[in-house]
Amino acid sequence: MALTSEQSRLLDHPSTRKIALVGPAGTGKTTAGTLWLKKLLESGIPANQILLFIPQRTLAKPYEDSLWDDLALSQGLVSIVTLGGLARRMLDLFWPAISSQTGVAQPDRPPQFLTLETAQYFMAHVVRPLIEEKNYFESLTINRNRIFSQILDNLNKAAFVGFPIEEIAPRLKAAWVGDVEQMHIYDDVQASALAFRSFCLEHNLLDFSLQVEIFIKYLWPLPACRSYLTQSYRHLIVDNIEEDTPVAHDVLREWLPDFDSAVVIADREAGYRFFLGADTQSAMTVVDACDETLLFEKNLVSSKDIQGLQNGFRRAVASLMGETPLQQSLPGADATRAIVTPRENPRYFPAMVNWASAEIRRLIDQGTPAGEIVVLAPFMSDVLRYTLSRKLDEYGIPHHSHRPSRALRDEPAAQTLLTFATVAFPEWGLLPQRINFAFALMQAIDPFDLVRAQLLSRYVYDERAEGFPLKPFEEVPAEVRDRITYRAGERYEQLRSWLAATLPEDDQTLDFFLNRLFGEVLSQPGFGFHNDLENANTVATLIESIQKFRWVIGDQLNHDDFSTGKEYVQMVADGVIAAQYIQPWQDAPKDSVFLAPAYTFLMRNQAVDVQFWLDIGSPAWYQRLDQPLTQPYVLSRRWKAGEVWTTEDELRAANATLLRLSLGLLNRCRQKVYLGMSEMDVSGYENRGLLLRIIQQVLLETKRGIR
Amino acid sequence: MTLPENFDFTQSNLQDYLDCPYRFYLRYIRHTQWPALIVDDALAFEQRGQTGARFHRLIQQYLLGLPEERLADQAAADPSPEVFSWWQDFLQYAPPLLEGARHVETVLSAGLNGHRLVAKYDLVLVRPDGGLTIFDWKTSQKRPKQERLLERVQTRLYRFLLVLSGGMLNGAEAIRPEQIEMNYWFTSQPELPINLPYTADQYQKDQTFFKKLVDEIAALPGEAFTRTGDLSKCRYCVYRSHCDRGVEAGDLEMFDDFLPETEENPDDLDFDQIEEIAF
Ligand code: SF4
Repeated sequence: MALTSEQSRLLDHPSTRKIALVGPAGTGKTTAGTLWLKKLLESGIPANQILLFIPQRTLAKPYEDSLWDDLALSQGLVSIVTLGGLARRMLDLFWPAISSQTGVAQPDRPPQFLTLETAQYFMAHVVRPLIEEKNYFESLTINRNRIFSQILDNLNKAAFVGFPIEEIAPRLKAAWVGDVEQMHIYDDVQASALAFRSFCLEHNLLDFSLQVEIFIKYLWPLPACRSYLTQSYRHLIVDNIEEDTPVAHDVLREWLPDFDSAVVIADREAGYRFFLGADTQSAMTVVDACDETLLFEKNLVSSKDIQGLQNGFRRAVASLMGETPLQQSLPGADATRAIVTPRENPRYFPAMVNWASAEIRRLIDQGTPAGEIVVLAPFMSDVLRYTLSRKLDEYGIPHHSHRPSRALRDEPAAQTLLTFATVAFPEWGLLPQRINFAFALMQAIDPFDLVRAQLLSRYVYDERAEGFPLKPFEEVPAEVRDRITYRAGERYEQLRSWLAATLPEDDQTLDFFLNRLFGEVLSQPGFGFHNDLENANTVATLIESIQKFRWVIGDQLNHDDFSTGKEYVQMVADGVIAAQYIQPWQDAPKDSVFLAPAYTFLMRNQAVDVQFWLDIGSPAWYQRLDQPLTQPYVLSRRWKAGEVWTTEDELRAANATLLRLSLGLLNRCRQKVYLGMSEMDVSGYENRGLLLRIIQQVLLETKRGIR
Repeated sequence: MTLPENFDFTQSNLQDYLDCPYRFYLRYIRHTQWPALIVDDALAFEQRGQTGARFHRLIQQYLLGLPEERLADQAAADPSPEVFSWWQDFLQYAPPLLEGARHVETVLSAGLNGHRLVAKYDLVLVRPDGGLTIFDWKTSQKRPKQERLLERVQTRLYRFLLVLSGGMLNGAEAIRPEQIEMNYWFTSQPELPINLPYTADQYQKDQTFFKKLVDEIAALPGEAFTRTGDLSKCRYCVYRSHCDRGVEAGDLEMFDDFLPETEENPDDLDFDQIEEIAF
């Protein structure tokens, strides 16, 4: 591999230096990082003394891959950490040394770590009475679950930005101009956050914010913990530091002098995880603490035309913000050559998808590998992903999508198990509607169709029953039994008698109950899950979610009339527990088109030849989410006390977001960007947002000869 | 080659393959989780696992030098009374064995015929006499026979890999098999750990064995991962309903005799596998 001069300069340094690599994406910094890693290993430094610190797990892939290129170097594993992972690990190891300072009620017991789901559950547990009895959030019309998650979001921001949770409302209120009602909402947020924190401490529960806070306050300064870390890790590599949070930067800055060597990599014009707390300015304090900075300027990825397009974006956004662009013009670049648009924009989005799919086919026919194409949208909604996938399937084009997490209650396999649980425990009072029971039967019995399942349910299932609601198959009239078939009837009987034997106490371990139902009945020969390996994974995820719920909730709310199983099922139905289904494992097929939300693609940090940007009229490319209980800018470390957030700030933030995102995408594009939009977007709105206007301006300027 | 990209061979996946190639295929190539029970008394099984994990954590904290009185408080407050009595036994019998440089929860790996072998050790002790002892803490209720332990993939892989890569723990000095021993310490018989010294002869055998094994697995096409003919392997296998090899889960009481390789989650190799919660 030919090295760039910057990469060579890095490798010329001895492994006793602390060097920062700074420059835009696509200039070879991560490759330089992987080469540095190899150099360390080749010089005999044990792998387990090397720490790779990143803001998100996906960013470790180039380093992991590089270690596979030369297995002779593999004598141990490089430790890969995020701040959250580090905090959790240190809490696990050093808890007894600091537990009595943390304020938990039982310092001699290990803490229980909350997942996002269980934190949301306890937040609901604490805040629901405040809403119902004390009229908290009275003026808000948003879904309660969004209230709970935004309060958690505020707690997390306090932990990652590094301010006391008591300051959430004062900060938000100080920056607010407008409706006084919003001030009351902020007060309610504050009281809820404090109530949740007290509850956690009282029950030895550590949500994500408390894990980070305890790590920063008690573990990081603890000599035993610090010397463990210092002795374990002698060499540091940090990548994408601009995507990390201020407290991560504080830790790294303090830790840096203890390492023998460090390479700290920072992307300029990035910070995509701003909404998750990323802070590009505090990242630079770590860069500044290094011995030396190497600037990586030469773009190794994008064609000249794409770089011209980037300049166009910079100019357009600068002029929108009333600023003078700093960027030099690029002779020979023609942004119009980097862009492909349809002759005219269709009215509805399926036609946009058709256009994009046809262009993808044409590209592949002309020799572009499928793996060099990505299709991006600000959000990849189910309907957009489905329509795209179908069309690409039609053309026989391999593709894979970032599958966003989905609520398990929307997965038929999970629904089937939960339906049978509600039937087995009639005392919960949650018997399913007949159609849902029929649907579950159809899934469970193999082969069975909905018509026969409905027919069977009509005779055997009593949705108003006080006790067990299923009757034996033999009570079905003979002529109906014939239609249903005796084979299916036999299966039904097997299932019914299994469910009938349920013991009332089984609902305390609903996960094991479902394990048995799955193993002993539903996956046996003649049942729907027997050979269904995909759906088995969905069921496994559901059961794991119940198990984690039981571990934490069962211990805390253990009283006689409390049913863990019923509580879980109800919380899923109410959406408090999303029971998110994220495919546990993804081995992206090598040569296939990737369909993803734009930010997901960015955080994979891989360049491609061609990008399709769909729905470019949508404001979702730059607008922040509507979050009335929080405010990422005001709760950031950049915010100055006493300032107020105005509509101009909002506009400036939108412009900055859009510029960051578009430059980030273009930095990861080698040749062309295809721009797709329809007059009516996926949600049926007519949108002509900022991105579209900027692109139009860039094209106009290019035609006028401005490069 | 049907193996996933960057696949690591570990004691548990190799044991899975030896027990049943089809189980290996389902678990590591198809990534199928099959949510059936392993044993009949799932709650007791879970509690055993969690109790064992808490005890492991205490030992780890002890080895890292956390104040002994704080650890004693934790052991005394543990919901399972076993932990406190195991802890007292540990303090009585283990410390004299632990003289030397301690490498706690260490991960070693090595390339072998283009594949990567990985093992996570509870403790590798570099003794003052230059020898290296691998410690593995076992909270299973029964203490297996020495011959069975010698056959285990864990014993073979841990010792083999320490020869290949243990220099990392030893100032880059090459390690001879004779320097190594593996010590299984059982809560059920704390005064009688099983010590398994390594030899050059056994190292040669292990090398041949692992080379052949990983090559064989890597070369196998998907359909050649066949179901085991030994039905006893199916008794504690979650896939039994899919394979039509039985309805009910195995008996917990017999589980220790069966000694599968699932204890203490040996695949948990990564420092940072904990699911990160985005906010
Ligand atoms: S049930 Fe038996 S045949 Fe099937 S995967 Fe398990 S061990 Fe193999």
